[in-house]
Amino acid sequence: MKCSDVKQVLPEIIDGSGDAEFQQHLECCSSCSGLVAELKLIAAESRQLAEIDEPPARVWVGIANQLRAEGIIRDRETSKARPVLVPPPARRWNARWLAPVAVAIVAVGSYQLAHKTAAPGAQQVAEQAPSQPQPQASQPSLNAQAANSQAAPQSVASPTAPPASRAVELAERGAQPSTGATAQHAKFAEPTLAAEASPPASEEDQRFLSEVSQRAPTMRATYENQLRAVNAEIQETQEYIKRYPDDLDARQHLMEVYQEKALLYQMALDRIQ
Amino acid sequence: MERVPLNKVVPVVLAACLVSFAVAETKKEYRYTVGPNANVSLDTQFGSISVRPGNANEVVVFATLQSDKAEVDNLQSGNRIEFVSHLFQGADQQSGRIDYEVLVPADATLSLRSSTGPLSAERLQGDLSLEGTDAAVDIHDVSNGHVHVTTMRGPVTLTNIRDGHVEVSSISGDVTMKSVTGILVKANSGSGKIFYDGDFGAGGDYKFTTHNGDIVAVVPANASADFRAHSMLGKVQSDLPLQPRHSHLSFEEGRAFFGTVGKAASAVVLRSFSGRIRLKQR
Repeated sequence: MKCSDVKQVLPEIIDGSGDAEFQQHLECCSSCSGLVAELKLIAAESRQLAEIDEPPARVWVGIANQLRAEGIIRDRETSKARPVLVPPPARRWNARWLAPVAVAIVAVGSYQLAHKTAAPGAQQVAEQAPSQPQPQASQPSLNAQAANSQAAPQSVASPTAPPASRAVELAERGAQPSTGATAQHAKFAEPTLAAEASPPASEEDQRFLSEVSQRAPTMRATYENQLRAVNAEIQETQEYIKRYPDDLDARQHLMEVYQEKALLYQMALDRIQ
Repeated sequence: MERVPLNKVVPVVLAACLVSFAVAETKKEYRYTVGPNANVSLDTQFGSISVRPGNANEVVVFATLQSDKAEVDNLQSGNRIEFVSHLFQGADQQSGRIDYEVLVPADATLSLRSSTGPLSAERLQGDLSLEGTDAAVDIHDVSNGHVHVTTMRGPVTLTNIRDGHVEVSSISGDVTMKSVTGILVKANSGSGKIFYDGDFGAGGDYKFTTHNGDIVAVVPANASADFRAHSMLGKVQSDLPLQPRHSHLSFEEGRAFFGTVGKAASAVVLRSFSGRIRLKQR
Protein backbone atom coordinates (compact mmCIF):
# COMPACT_ATOMS: atom_id res chain seq x y z
CA MET A 1 0.00 0.00 0.00
CA LYS A 2 1.46 3.33 -1.08
CA CYS A 3 0.61 6.85 -0.01
CA SER A 4 -0.88 7.58 -3.47
CA ASP A 5 -3.26 4.65 -3.02
CA VAL A 6 -4.42 6.00 0.33
CA LYS A 7 -5.26 9.39 -1.12
CA GLN A 8 -7.50 7.76 -3.71
CA VAL A 9 -9.61 6.07 -1.04
CA LEU A 10 -9.54 8.89 1.51
CA PRO A 11 -13.33 9.42 1.55
CA GLU A 12 -13.79 5.76 2.51
CA ILE A 13 -11.22 6.03 5.27
CA ILE A 14 -12.73 9.20 6.71
CA ASP A 15 -16.18 7.72 7.06
CA GLY A 16 -14.64 4.68 8.63
CA SER A 17 -15.11 2.16 5.88
CA GLY A 18 -11.42 1.63 5.00
CA ASP A 19 -10.13 -1.96 5.11
CA ALA A 20 -7.28 -3.45 7.23
CA GLU A 21 -4.64 -2.76 4.59
CA PHE A 22 -5.37 0.95 4.72
CA GLN A 23 -5.36 0.94 8.50
CA GLN A 24 -2.01 -0.85 8.55
CA HIS A 25 -0.51 1.80 6.23
CA LEU A 26 -1.78 4.58 8.46
CA GLU A 27 -0.07 2.98 11.45
CA CYS A 28 3.24 3.01 9.57
CA CYS A 29 3.00 6.32 7.70
CA SER A 30 2.89 9.46 9.83
CA SER A 31 2.16 11.69 6.84
CA CYS A 32 -0.97 9.82 5.77
CA SER A 33 -2.17 9.31 9.33
CA GLY A 34 -1.78 13.04 10.03
CA LEU A 35 -3.72 13.89 6.89
CA VAL A 36 -6.53 11.52 7.78
CA ALA A 37 -6.69 12.87 11.33
CA GLU A 38 -7.02 16.47 10.09
CA LEU A 39 -9.72 15.55 7.61
CA LYS A 40 -11.68 13.69 10.26
CA LEU A 41 -11.46 16.71 12.54
CA ILE A 42 -12.77 19.02 9.78
CA ALA A 43 -15.65 16.66 9.05
CA ALA A 44 -16.60 16.46 12.71
CA GLU A 45 -16.39 20.21 13.29
CA SER A 46 -18.42 21.04 10.20
CA ARG A 47 -21.36 19.01 11.49
CA GLN A 48 -21.48 21.22 14.53
CA LEU A 49 -21.49 24.53 12.71
CA ALA A 50 -24.30 26.72 14.04
CA GLU A 51 -26.27 29.28 12.09
CA ILE A 52 -24.44 32.03 13.91
CA ASP A 53 -21.26 30.81 12.31
CA GLU A 54 -22.54 31.56 8.80
CA PRO A 55 -20.85 34.39 6.97
CA PRO A 56 -22.43 37.82 7.57
CA ALA A 57 -24.74 39.37 5.00
CA ARG A 58 -22.06 41.78 3.83
CA VAL A 59 -20.14 38.80 2.46
CA TRP A 60 -23.04 37.84 0.18
CA VAL A 61 -23.60 41.47 -0.80
CA GLY A 62 -19.97 41.73 -1.71
CA ILE A 63 -20.17 38.61 -3.85
CA ALA A 64 -23.31 39.93 -5.57
CA ASN A 65 -21.65 43.28 -6.26
CA GLN A 66 -18.66 41.54 -7.77
CA LEU A 67 -20.88 39.40 -10.00
CA ARG A 68 -22.83 42.49 -10.99
CA ALA A 69 -19.66 44.36 -11.86
CA GLU A 70 -18.58 41.48 -14.05
CA GLY A 71 -21.93 41.52 -15.83
CA ILE A 72 -22.81 38.01 -14.81
CA ILE A 73 -26.04 39.12 -13.14
CA ARG A 74 -28.29 42.06 -13.91
CA ASP A 75 -30.60 44.06 -11.75
CA ARG A 76 -34.25 43.50 -12.49
CA GLU A 77 -35.67 45.72 -9.78
CA THR A 78 -38.77 47.69 -10.61
CA SER A 79 -39.76 50.88 -8.95
CA LYS A 80 -42.72 50.91 -6.67
CA ALA A 81 -43.26 54.52 -7.65
CA ARG A 82 -43.56 53.78 -11.37
CA PRO A 83 -46.16 51.65 -13.08
CA VAL A 84 -43.93 48.79 -14.23
CA LEU A 85 -45.53 45.46 -14.67
CA VAL A 86 -42.50 43.21 -14.27
CA PRO A 87 -42.23 42.31 -10.60
CA PRO A 88 -38.79 42.17 -8.92
CA PRO A 89 -37.42 38.69 -8.35
CA ALA A 90 -37.77 39.06 -4.60
CA ARG A 91 -41.49 39.59 -5.05
CA ARG A 92 -42.07 36.93 -7.67
CA TRP A 93 -45.18 35.61 -6.00
CA ASN A 94 -46.99 32.75 -7.39
CA ALA A 95 -50.34 34.10 -8.47
CA ARG A 96 -51.27 30.80 -10.02
CA TRP A 97 -54.11 30.63 -7.52
CA LEU A 98 -55.96 32.83 -9.99
CA ALA A 99 -56.06 29.93 -12.44
CA PRO A 100 -57.92 27.54 -10.12
CA VAL A 101 -60.16 30.42 -9.09
CA ALA A 102 -61.00 30.94 -12.74
CA VAL A 103 -61.74 27.23 -13.05
CA ALA A 104 -63.84 27.41 -9.88
CA ILE A 105 -65.85 30.26 -11.33
CA VAL A 106 -66.68 28.19 -14.38
CA ALA A 107 -67.46 25.18 -12.15
CA VAL A 108 -69.84 27.25 -10.03
CA GLY A 109 -71.52 28.41 -13.17
CA SER A 110 -71.93 24.80 -14.31
CA TYR A 111 -73.40 23.87 -10.94
CA GLN A 112 -75.87 26.69 -11.09
CA LEU A 113 -76.92 25.69 -14.55
CA ALA A 114 -77.56 22.13 -13.40
CA HIS A 115 -79.31 23.18 -10.19
CA LYS A 116 -82.80 24.54 -10.62
CA THR A 117 -83.34 25.52 -6.97
CA ALA A 118 -82.94 29.28 -6.42
CA ALA A 119 -80.24 30.31 -3.97
CA PRO A 120 -81.30 32.29 -0.91
CA GLY A 121 -78.79 35.01 -1.75
CA ALA A 122 -80.51 35.72 -5.02
CA GLN A 123 -83.77 36.25 -3.20
CA GLN A 124 -82.11 38.90 -1.03
CA VAL A 125 -80.77 40.67 -4.09
CA ALA A 126 -84.23 40.59 -5.63
CA GLU A 127 -85.65 42.42 -2.65
CA GLN A 128 -83.12 45.25 -2.68
CA ALA A 129 -84.41 48.58 -3.87
CA PRO A 130 -82.56 49.82 -6.94
CA SER A 131 -80.03 52.52 -6.13
CA GLN A 132 -80.38 54.20 -9.50
CA PRO A 133 -83.26 56.57 -10.26
CA GLN A 134 -85.98 55.28 -12.53
CA PRO A 135 -86.27 57.73 -15.41
CA GLN A 136 -89.36 58.00 -17.58
CA ALA A 137 -91.32 55.37 -15.75
CA SER A 138 -93.80 55.42 -12.96
CA GLN A 139 -93.29 51.70 -12.42
CA PRO A 140 -90.22 49.52 -12.84
CA SER A 141 -89.26 50.30 -16.40
CA LEU A 142 -88.53 46.76 -17.53
CA ASN A 143 -92.22 45.94 -17.23
CA ALA A 144 -92.80 47.83 -20.44
CA GLN A 145 -89.71 46.50 -22.14
CA ALA A 146 -90.68 42.90 -21.58
CA ALA A 147 -94.19 43.29 -22.86
CA ASN A 148 -93.98 45.79 -25.65
CA SER A 149 -92.74 44.36 -28.92
CA GLN A 150 -94.21 47.24 -30.88
CA ALA A 151 -92.15 49.96 -29.26
CA ALA A 152 -90.05 52.32 -31.36
CA PRO A 153 -86.35 51.57 -31.49
CA GLN A 154 -84.56 52.81 -28.43
CA SER A 155 -81.16 54.38 -28.26
CA VAL A 156 -78.30 52.05 -27.74
CA ALA A 157 -75.90 52.69 -24.94
CA SER A 158 -72.23 52.78 -25.60
CA PRO A 159 -70.62 49.40 -25.12
CA THR A 160 -68.13 51.03 -22.82
CA ALA A 161 -70.79 52.58 -20.59
CA PRO A 162 -70.02 51.94 -16.93
CA PRO A 163 -72.28 49.45 -15.21
CA ALA A 164 -74.04 52.14 -13.20
CA SER A 165 -75.56 53.57 -16.35
CA ARG A 166 -76.97 50.25 -17.52
CA ALA A 167 -80.02 50.79 -15.37
CA VAL A 168 -80.64 53.96 -17.35
CA GLU A 169 -80.05 52.13 -20.63
CA LEU A 170 -82.47 49.35 -19.80
CA ALA A 171 -84.98 51.87 -18.53
CA GLU A 172 -84.80 53.80 -21.77
CA ARG A 173 -85.32 50.66 -23.79
CA GLY A 174 -88.50 49.94 -21.93
CA ALA A 175 -89.81 53.42 -21.45
CA GLN A 176 -92.98 52.89 -23.47
CA PRO A 177 -96.18 52.56 -21.49
CA SER A 178 -97.12 49.03 -20.84
CA THR A 179 -100.30 47.92 -22.56
CA GLY A 180 -100.10 44.18 -22.15
CA ALA A 181 -97.26 43.46 -19.87
CA THR A 182 -96.66 39.81 -19.39
CA ALA A 183 -96.92 39.07 -15.72
CA GLN A 184 -93.83 36.91 -15.70
CA HIS A 185 -91.51 39.46 -17.27
CA ALA A 186 -93.07 42.26 -15.29
CA LYS A 187 -92.04 40.62 -12.06
CA PHE A 188 -88.52 40.21 -13.37
CA ALA A 189 -88.07 43.93 -13.94
CA GLU A 190 -87.31 44.92 -10.35
CA PRO A 191 -84.59 42.37 -9.68
CA THR A 192 -82.76 43.30 -12.87
CA LEU A 193 -82.57 46.95 -11.94
CA ALA A 194 -81.44 45.93 -8.52
CA ALA A 195 -78.67 43.96 -10.19
CA GLU A 196 -77.54 47.08 -12.01
CA ALA A 197 -76.36 48.48 -8.70
CA SER A 198 -72.80 47.25 -8.17
CA PRO A 199 -72.98 43.72 -6.84
CA PRO A 200 -70.83 43.14 -3.77
CA ALA A 201 -67.36 41.87 -4.65
CA SER A 202 -66.56 38.37 -3.46
CA GLU A 203 -63.51 37.52 -1.42
CA GLU A 204 -61.85 36.11 -4.51
CA ASP A 205 -62.54 39.31 -6.40
CA GLN A 206 -61.09 41.41 -3.60
CA ARG A 207 -58.00 39.25 -3.52
CA PHE A 208 -57.73 39.41 -7.28
CA LEU A 209 -57.86 43.22 -7.25
CA SER A 210 -55.38 43.32 -4.42
CA GLU A 211 -52.90 41.29 -6.47
CA VAL A 212 -53.44 43.53 -9.47
CA SER A 213 -52.93 46.63 -7.32
CA GLN A 214 -49.63 45.36 -6.06
CA ARG A 215 -48.24 44.10 -9.32
CA ALA A 216 -49.83 46.33 -11.92
CA PRO A 217 -51.26 49.37 -10.12
CA THR A 218 -52.00 51.25 -13.33
CA MET A 219 -54.28 48.42 -14.45
CA ARG A 220 -56.27 48.25 -11.24
CA ALA A 221 -59.00 50.64 -12.34
CA THR A 222 -59.43 48.87 -15.65
CA TYR A 223 -59.73 45.43 -14.14
CA GLU A 224 -61.99 46.69 -11.39
CA ASN A 225 -64.39 48.28 -13.86
CA GLN A 226 -64.46 45.21 -16.04
CA LEU A 227 -64.94 42.95 -13.04
CA ARG A 228 -67.80 45.08 -11.82
CA ALA A 229 -69.43 44.89 -15.25
CA VAL A 230 -69.05 41.12 -15.45
CA ASN A 231 -70.40 40.62 -11.94
CA ALA A 232 -73.40 42.72 -12.87
CA GLU A 233 -73.96 40.55 -15.92
CA ILE A 234 -73.78 37.44 -13.77
CA GLN A 235 -76.24 38.82 -11.31
CA GLU A 236 -78.69 39.90 -14.00
CA THR A 237 -78.60 36.51 -15.61
CA GLN A 238 -78.98 34.69 -12.31
CA GLU A 239 -82.03 36.72 -11.51
CA TYR A 240 -83.48 35.98 -14.89
CA ILE A 241 -82.90 32.24 -14.48
CA LYS A 242 -84.44 32.34 -11.07
CA ARG A 243 -87.61 33.60 -12.67
CA TYR A 244 -87.43 31.49 -15.80
CA PRO A 245 -85.60 28.30 -14.86
CA ASP A 246 -86.70 26.55 -18.04
CA ASP A 247 -84.98 29.04 -20.32
CA LEU A 248 -82.08 26.95 -21.58
CA ASP A 249 -80.61 29.86 -23.48
CA ALA A 250 -80.39 31.82 -20.28
CA ARG A 251 -78.55 28.98 -18.57
CA GLN A 252 -76.15 28.73 -21.46
CA HIS A 253 -75.68 32.47 -21.29
CA LEU A 254 -74.87 32.28 -17.60
CA MET A 255 -72.16 29.77 -18.37
CA GLU A 256 -70.74 32.10 -20.97
CA VAL A 257 -70.72 35.02 -18.57
CA TYR A 258 -68.86 32.93 -16.02
CA GLN A 259 -66.38 32.08 -18.74
CA GLU A 260 -66.07 35.79 -19.40
CA LYS A 261 -65.13 36.32 -15.76
CA ALA A 262 -62.67 33.47 -15.91
CA LEU A 263 -61.21 35.09 -19.01
CA LEU A 264 -60.74 38.33 -17.11
CA TYR A 265 -58.90 36.51 -14.34
CA GLN A 266 -56.77 34.67 -16.85
CA MET A 267 -55.82 37.83 -18.72
CA ALA A 268 -54.72 39.43 -15.48
CA LEU A 269 -52.81 36.31 -14.48
CA ASP A 270 -50.99 36.28 -17.81
CA ARG A 271 -49.96 39.88 -17.41
CA ILE A 272 -49.01 40.15 -13.75
CA GLN A 273 -47.15 36.90 -13.38
CA MET B 1 -21.54 91.31 -36.29
CA GLU B 2 -22.56 89.64 -39.50
CA ARG B 3 -26.02 88.06 -39.34
CA VAL B 4 -26.29 84.37 -40.30
CA PRO B 5 -28.78 83.89 -43.14
CA LEU B 6 -32.05 82.25 -42.12
CA ASN B 7 -31.95 79.81 -45.02
CA LYS B 8 -28.80 78.33 -43.53
CA VAL B 9 -29.95 78.23 -39.94
CA VAL B 10 -33.27 76.48 -40.47
CA PRO B 11 -31.88 73.35 -42.17
CA VAL B 12 -29.27 73.00 -39.46
CA VAL B 13 -31.90 73.22 -36.75
CA LEU B 14 -34.13 70.73 -38.53
CA ALA B 15 -31.27 68.33 -38.97
CA ALA B 16 -30.41 68.60 -35.30
CA CYS B 17 -33.98 67.81 -34.35
CA LEU B 18 -34.09 64.74 -36.60
CA VAL B 19 -30.82 63.49 -35.18
CA SER B 20 -32.09 63.88 -31.64
CA PHE B 21 -35.24 61.90 -32.40
CA ALA B 22 -33.22 59.23 -34.13
CA VAL B 23 -30.87 58.92 -31.17
CA ALA B 24 -33.79 58.47 -28.73
CA GLU B 25 -35.26 55.65 -30.83
CA THR B 26 -33.34 52.43 -31.32
CA LYS B 27 -34.02 49.90 -34.03
CA LYS B 28 -32.84 46.33 -33.84
CA GLU B 29 -33.08 43.51 -36.32
CA TYR B 30 -33.13 39.80 -35.61
CA ARG B 31 -33.02 36.97 -38.14
CA TYR B 32 -33.63 33.29 -37.58
CA THR B 33 -33.67 30.29 -39.85
CA VAL B 34 -36.61 27.97 -39.24
CA GLY B 35 -38.25 24.92 -40.70
CA PRO B 36 -41.88 24.31 -41.64
CA ASN B 37 -44.59 25.20 -39.11
CA ALA B 38 -42.38 27.46 -37.05
CA ASN B 39 -43.76 28.67 -33.72
CA VAL B 40 -43.30 32.41 -33.13
CA SER B 41 -44.32 34.15 -29.92
CA LEU B 42 -44.13 37.88 -29.13
CA ASP B 43 -45.12 39.52 -25.88
CA THR B 44 -44.82 43.25 -25.33
CA GLN B 45 -46.41 45.20 -22.53
CA PHE B 46 -46.41 48.47 -24.44
CA GLY B 47 -46.20 48.60 -28.18
CA SER B 48 -47.57 47.28 -31.42
CA ILE B 49 -46.97 44.01 -33.17
CA SER B 50 -47.47 43.66 -36.91
CA VAL B 51 -46.94 40.36 -38.71
CA ARG B 52 -46.72 39.71 -42.42
CA PRO B 53 -45.57 36.75 -44.49
CA GLY B 54 -41.93 36.62 -45.54
CA ASN B 55 -39.53 33.96 -46.73
CA ALA B 56 -40.51 30.33 -46.24
CA ASN B 57 -37.60 29.45 -43.94
CA GLU B 58 -36.82 32.66 -42.16
CA VAL B 59 -38.22 34.76 -39.34
CA VAL B 60 -37.20 38.41 -39.32
CA VAL B 61 -38.05 40.69 -36.42
CA PHE B 62 -37.60 44.44 -36.46
CA ALA B 63 -37.87 45.95 -32.98
CA THR B 64 -38.11 49.68 -32.36
CA LEU B 65 -37.30 50.72 -28.80
CA GLN B 66 -38.33 54.16 -27.61
CA SER B 67 -35.75 54.38 -24.86
CA ASP B 68 -33.15 52.45 -22.94
CA LYS B 69 -35.68 51.66 -20.24
CA ALA B 70 -36.74 48.55 -22.12
CA GLU B 71 -34.94 45.77 -23.86
CA VAL B 72 -35.77 42.81 -26.02
CA ASP B 73 -35.33 39.33 -24.59
CA ASN B 74 -35.27 36.79 -27.36
CA LEU B 75 -34.49 33.15 -27.80
CA GLN B 76 -34.67 30.45 -30.41
CA SER B 77 -35.16 26.85 -29.45
CA GLY B 78 -35.30 24.73 -32.56
CA ASN B 79 -38.31 25.83 -34.51
CA ARG B 80 -39.65 27.97 -31.70
CA ILE B 81 -38.84 31.67 -31.45
CA GLU B 82 -39.81 33.81 -28.52
CA PHE B 83 -39.59 37.57 -27.99
CA VAL B 84 -40.47 39.29 -24.72
CA SER B 85 -40.17 42.99 -23.98
CA HIS B 86 -38.38 43.48 -20.69
CA LEU B 87 -38.96 46.72 -18.80
CA PHE B 88 -36.39 48.30 -16.51
CA GLN B 89 -36.89 50.45 -13.47
CA GLY B 90 -38.64 53.70 -14.29
CA ALA B 91 -40.19 52.49 -17.53
CA ASP B 92 -43.67 53.73 -18.37
CA GLN B 93 -46.05 53.34 -21.29
CA GLN B 94 -44.03 55.69 -23.48
CA SER B 95 -40.47 54.95 -22.51
CA GLY B 96 -41.15 51.23 -22.22
CA ARG B 97 -42.74 50.96 -25.62
CA ILE B 98 -41.29 48.47 -28.09
CA ASP B 99 -42.91 48.09 -31.50
CA TYR B 100 -42.38 44.93 -33.51
CA GLU B 101 -42.62 44.31 -37.23
CA VAL B 102 -42.31 40.64 -38.02
CA LEU B 103 -41.92 38.63 -41.19
CA VAL B 104 -42.71 34.94 -40.83
CA PRO B 105 -43.32 31.95 -43.09
CA ALA B 106 -46.96 31.88 -44.12
CA ASP B 107 -47.56 28.58 -42.27
CA ALA B 108 -46.07 29.76 -38.98
CA THR B 109 -48.02 29.46 -35.74
CA LEU B 110 -48.23 32.84 -34.05
CA SER B 111 -48.87 33.99 -30.52
CA LEU B 112 -49.05 37.75 -30.01
CA ARG B 113 -49.76 39.62 -26.82
CA SER B 114 -49.81 43.32 -26.04
CA SER B 115 -51.69 45.48 -23.56
CA THR B 116 -51.74 48.66 -25.63
CA GLY B 117 -51.28 47.28 -29.13
CA PRO B 118 -52.36 47.47 -31.83
CA LEU B 119 -51.95 43.90 -33.02
CA SER B 120 -52.21 43.01 -36.68
CA ALA B 121 -51.66 39.96 -38.85
CA GLU B 122 -52.26 39.48 -42.54
CA ARG B 123 -51.94 36.95 -45.36
CA LEU B 124 -51.08 33.99 -43.17
CA GLN B 125 -52.16 30.37 -43.11
CA GLY B 126 -51.06 29.13 -39.72
CA ASP B 127 -52.77 29.21 -36.33
CA LEU B 128 -53.01 32.65 -34.77
CA SER B 129 -53.53 33.54 -31.13
CA LEU B 130 -53.80 37.24 -30.31
CA GLU B 131 -54.42 38.68 -26.87
CA GLY B 132 -54.74 42.32 -25.97
CA THR B 133 -56.10 44.26 -23.03
CA ASP B 134 -56.88 47.53 -24.71
CA ALA B 135 -55.16 46.59 -27.92
CA ALA B 136 -57.08 46.85 -31.17
CA VAL B 137 -56.76 43.63 -33.13
CA ASP B 138 -56.86 43.55 -36.91
CA ILE B 139 -56.56 40.31 -38.86
CA HIS B 140 -57.16 40.02 -42.56
CA ASP B 141 -56.66 37.63 -45.46
CA VAL B 142 -56.04 34.53 -43.38
CA SER B 143 -57.02 31.04 -44.41
CA ASN B 144 -56.86 27.46 -43.21
CA GLY B 145 -55.86 28.31 -39.69
CA HIS B 146 -57.30 28.56 -36.23
CA VAL B 147 -57.77 32.20 -35.29
CA HIS B 148 -58.19 32.87 -31.59
CA VAL B 149 -58.57 36.45 -30.34
CA THR B 150 -59.04 37.67 -26.79
CA THR B 151 -59.36 41.26 -25.65
CA MET B 152 -60.67 43.09 -22.66
CA ARG B 153 -61.72 46.37 -24.23
CA GLY B 154 -59.86 46.35 -27.49
CA PRO B 155 -61.96 46.22 -30.67
CA VAL B 156 -61.50 43.26 -32.96
CA THR B 157 -61.72 43.45 -36.75
CA LEU B 158 -61.56 40.33 -38.89
CA THR B 159 -61.64 40.61 -42.66
CA ASN B 160 -61.55 37.86 -45.26
CA ILE B 161 -60.91 34.94 -42.94
CA ARG B 162 -61.68 31.68 -44.68
CA ASP B 163 -61.71 27.94 -44.28
CA GLY B 164 -60.67 27.98 -40.69
CA HIS B 165 -61.82 28.04 -37.14
CA VAL B 166 -62.44 31.42 -35.54
CA GLU B 167 -63.02 32.22 -31.87
CA VAL B 168 -63.24 35.76 -30.57
CA SER B 169 -63.82 36.64 -26.93
CA SER B 170 -63.99 40.16 -25.60
CA ILE B 171 -65.21 41.54 -22.31
CA SER B 172 -66.40 44.83 -23.75
CA GLY B 173 -64.75 45.31 -27.12
CA ASP B 174 -66.67 45.52 -30.38
CA VAL B 175 -66.25 42.69 -32.86
CA THR B 176 -66.49 43.40 -36.58
CA MET B 177 -66.36 40.57 -39.10
CA LYS B 178 -66.40 41.00 -42.85
CA SER B 179 -66.25 37.98 -45.13
CA VAL B 180 -65.48 35.59 -42.34
CA THR B 181 -66.40 32.01 -43.02
CA GLY B 182 -65.31 28.69 -41.63
CA ILE B 183 -66.22 25.42 -40.04
CA LEU B 184 -66.72 27.17 -36.72
CA VAL B 185 -67.01 30.91 -36.14
CA LYS B 186 -67.71 32.03 -32.59
CA ALA B 187 -67.77 35.56 -31.29
CA ASN B 188 -68.67 36.65 -27.79
CA SER B 189 -68.62 40.09 -26.29
CA GLY B 190 -70.10 41.08 -22.95
CA SER B 191 -71.04 44.67 -23.61
CA GLY B 192 -69.50 45.19 -27.01
CA LYS B 193 -71.35 45.07 -30.30
CA ILE B 194 -71.00 42.33 -32.88
CA PHE B 195 -71.29 43.20 -36.55
CA TYR B 196 -71.11 40.58 -39.28
CA ASP B 197 -71.14 41.21 -43.00
CA GLY B 198 -70.90 38.01 -45.00
CA ASP B 199 -72.75 35.03 -46.37
CA PHE B 200 -72.29 32.57 -43.49
CA GLY B 201 -70.75 30.24 -45.99
CA ALA B 202 -68.72 27.02 -45.85
CA GLY B 203 -71.49 25.01 -44.22
CA GLY B 204 -70.24 25.92 -40.80
CA ASP B 205 -71.52 26.71 -37.33
CA TYR B 206 -71.74 30.38 -36.46
CA LYS B 207 -72.49 31.59 -32.96
CA PHE B 208 -72.57 35.24 -31.93
CA THR B 209 -73.45 36.10 -28.35
CA THR B 210 -73.47 39.22 -26.23
CA HIS B 211 -74.81 40.27 -22.89
CA ASN B 212 -76.12 43.71 -23.71
CA GLY B 213 -74.30 44.57 -26.91
CA ASP B 214 -76.26 44.63 -30.15
CA ILE B 215 -75.78 42.01 -32.83
CA VAL B 216 -76.18 42.98 -36.47
CA ALA B 217 -75.72 40.56 -39.36
CA VAL B 218 -75.86 41.69 -42.98
CA VAL B 219 -76.21 38.86 -45.48
CA PRO B 220 -76.75 38.65 -49.24
CA ALA B 221 -79.98 37.37 -50.69
CA ASN B 222 -78.28 34.16 -51.86
CA ALA B 223 -77.08 33.16 -48.40
CA SER B 224 -77.75 29.62 -47.25
CA ALA B 225 -78.25 29.37 -43.54
CA ASP B 226 -80.49 28.22 -40.73
CA PHE B 227 -81.02 31.12 -38.33
CA ARG B 228 -81.89 31.01 -34.69
CA ALA B 229 -82.04 34.31 -32.88
CA HIS B 230 -83.06 34.97 -29.30
CA SER B 231 -82.73 37.97 -27.03
CA MET B 232 -83.97 37.42 -23.50
CA LEU B 233 -84.78 41.03 -22.83
CA GLY B 234 -83.98 42.80 -26.09
CA LYS B 235 -85.71 42.92 -29.42
CA VAL B 236 -85.02 40.90 -32.51
CA GLN B 237 -85.77 41.78 -36.08
CA SER B 238 -85.22 40.04 -39.38
CA ASP B 239 -85.34 41.91 -42.67
CA LEU B 240 -84.46 38.72 -44.49
CA PRO B 241 -87.40 36.68 -45.77
CA LEU B 242 -86.99 33.54 -43.73
CA GLN B 243 -88.72 30.23 -44.26
CA PRO B 244 -90.23 29.68 -40.84
CA ARG B 245 -88.92 26.77 -38.86
CA HIS B 246 -90.81 25.31 -36.00
CA SER B 247 -89.22 25.39 -32.59
CA HIS B 248 -90.44 23.30 -29.67
CA LEU B 249 -89.41 26.12 -27.37
CA SER B 250 -91.71 29.05 -26.76
CA PHE B 251 -90.55 32.62 -26.62
CA GLU B 252 -92.24 35.91 -26.09
CA GLU B 253 -93.19 37.72 -29.27
CA GLY B 254 -90.44 39.90 -30.59
CA ARG B 255 -87.75 38.10 -28.63
CA ALA B 256 -86.84 35.36 -31.07
CA PHE B 257 -87.07 34.21 -34.65
CA PHE B 258 -86.26 30.95 -36.39
CA GLY B 259 -86.02 30.36 -40.10
CA THR B 260 -83.95 29.38 -43.07
CA VAL B 261 -82.73 30.91 -46.28
CA GLY B 262 -81.52 28.95 -49.28
CA LYS B 263 -80.58 25.38 -48.46
CA ALA B 264 -79.74 26.14 -44.84
CA ALA B 265 -76.19 24.93 -45.28
CA SER B 266 -74.82 26.76 -42.24
CA ALA B 267 -76.23 26.97 -38.73
CA VAL B 268 -76.32 30.48 -37.26
CA VAL B 269 -77.11 31.24 -33.63
CA LEU B 270 -77.55 34.86 -32.58
CA ARG B 271 -78.15 35.30 -28.87
CA SER B 272 -78.10 38.19 -26.46
CA PHE B 273 -79.29 38.75 -22.93
CA SER B 274 -80.57 42.28 -23.44
CA GLY B 275 -79.02 43.48 -26.67
CA ARG B 276 -80.90 43.94 -29.91
CA ILE B 277 -80.49 41.47 -32.73
CA ARG B 278 -80.95 42.55 -36.33
CA LEU B 279 -80.68 40.42 -39.47
CA LYS B 280 -80.44 42.60 -42.54
CA GLN B 281 -80.32 41.88 -46.22
CA ARG B 282 -77.48 43.42 -48.18
